Amino acid sequence: MKRDPHQQARELIALGSQGLVDADQTWLRTHLDGCSSCRDYAQAAEQLVRSLKSVSVAAERALVQKTQMRVHLHAEQLRQRQDRQWLVAMSCILVGLSAAITTPFLWRGFQWLGEWAQVSSPVWQVGFMVFWISPALAASVIFLARGIHLTDTNRMSRG
Amino acid sequence: MNAAACYFVNGMESETSAIARGLRGRDPDLLDRLIEQYQHRLLRYLVYLTSNRELAEDMFQETWIRVLERGHQYNPEYEFSTWLFSIARNLTVDYLRKKRPASLDGLLDEEEGVSLDPPDTRPSALELIAQQEQAERISAALAGIAAEYREAIVLRFQEGMALDEIAAVTGAPLGTVKSRLYRGLNALLPRLKGAQA
Repeated sequence: MKRDPHQQARELIALGSQGLVDADQTWLRTHLDGCSSCRDYAQAAEQLVRSLKSVSVAAERALVQKTQMRVHLHAEQLRQRQDRQWLVAMSCILVGLSAAITTPFLWRGFQWLGEWAQVSSPVWQVGFMVFWISPALAASVIFLARGIHLTDTNRMSRG
Repeated sequence: MNAAACYFVNGMESETSAIARGLRGRDPDLLDRLIEQYQHRLLRYLVYLTSNRELAEDMFQETWIRVLERGHQYNPEYEFSTWLFSIARNLTVDYLRKKRPASLDGLLDEEEGVSLDPPDTRPSALELIAQQEQAERISAALAGIAAEYREAIVLRFQEGMALDEIAAVTGAPLGTVKSRLYRGLNALLPRLKGAQA
């Protein structure tokens, strides 16, 4: 089915002259030369584009300065958070390394204590497990409590 | 590609690469410069997108905060303005969806009769009044058409964006962008004629 040339011309006009390939521009020019209604449409569109460009919506100085200040503050917060995360990551690595090194010695220490105190193996092994896991448990409880506190603070400051 | 075009493309790449590097490092001086550089364009887009100056100013600030947070995601192969406008658009659409579950098209109902309220330009006499009247007429006509058409028209004819850039900002296929421009223009022209009559 052949397309309506007037609609095709108007569709091309709506794209703006910079959006057209050479062949379309040539076809449109030829069509406009022979079609007064599409020529009127093109003129009205051109006038509209000129009017649109003449409308001024300017950002006020105060808005720009406020935005810059907020961005600076937020950048500082992000930097601090990143530093904290780096510190936590380093601590985790150090703790992991020290645990890997000291655990065998600690195990032997508990074994020696168990034999010295003449308790059965499961007893000193449970003691070892509690001793070994308690720092991680304490740290988890502290982080959890701090996380809940931060969530509440954020909710309150947003609310 | 001729020498001039090659120089232009390389120039753009080095500029966008510098922006990408600065954004990755959260360089505050670069962000200050970008805010200054894009202040009017971004605010104008947001004012036309939201039809509400106050909301547009809030979204303006949030957009730059998001740029700071997501700076590492910027791809220097694309224009910075395209990325910036798509962030602004996503934030605005998300905000409006949270406020009331509707797409951008749903904005239209509440926009009837709302002026886009462009601010006063420099104080002078008749010229200022004529400019103001013209701006009000255009703003009112724009406010009366569907938000998606208005957005396409503003990006194309006010911001001078290429069709593929508009497609990237709006997340719509190229064919849809073309059709929005055509329909938008068809909706806008009679309104302006009517206002002039």
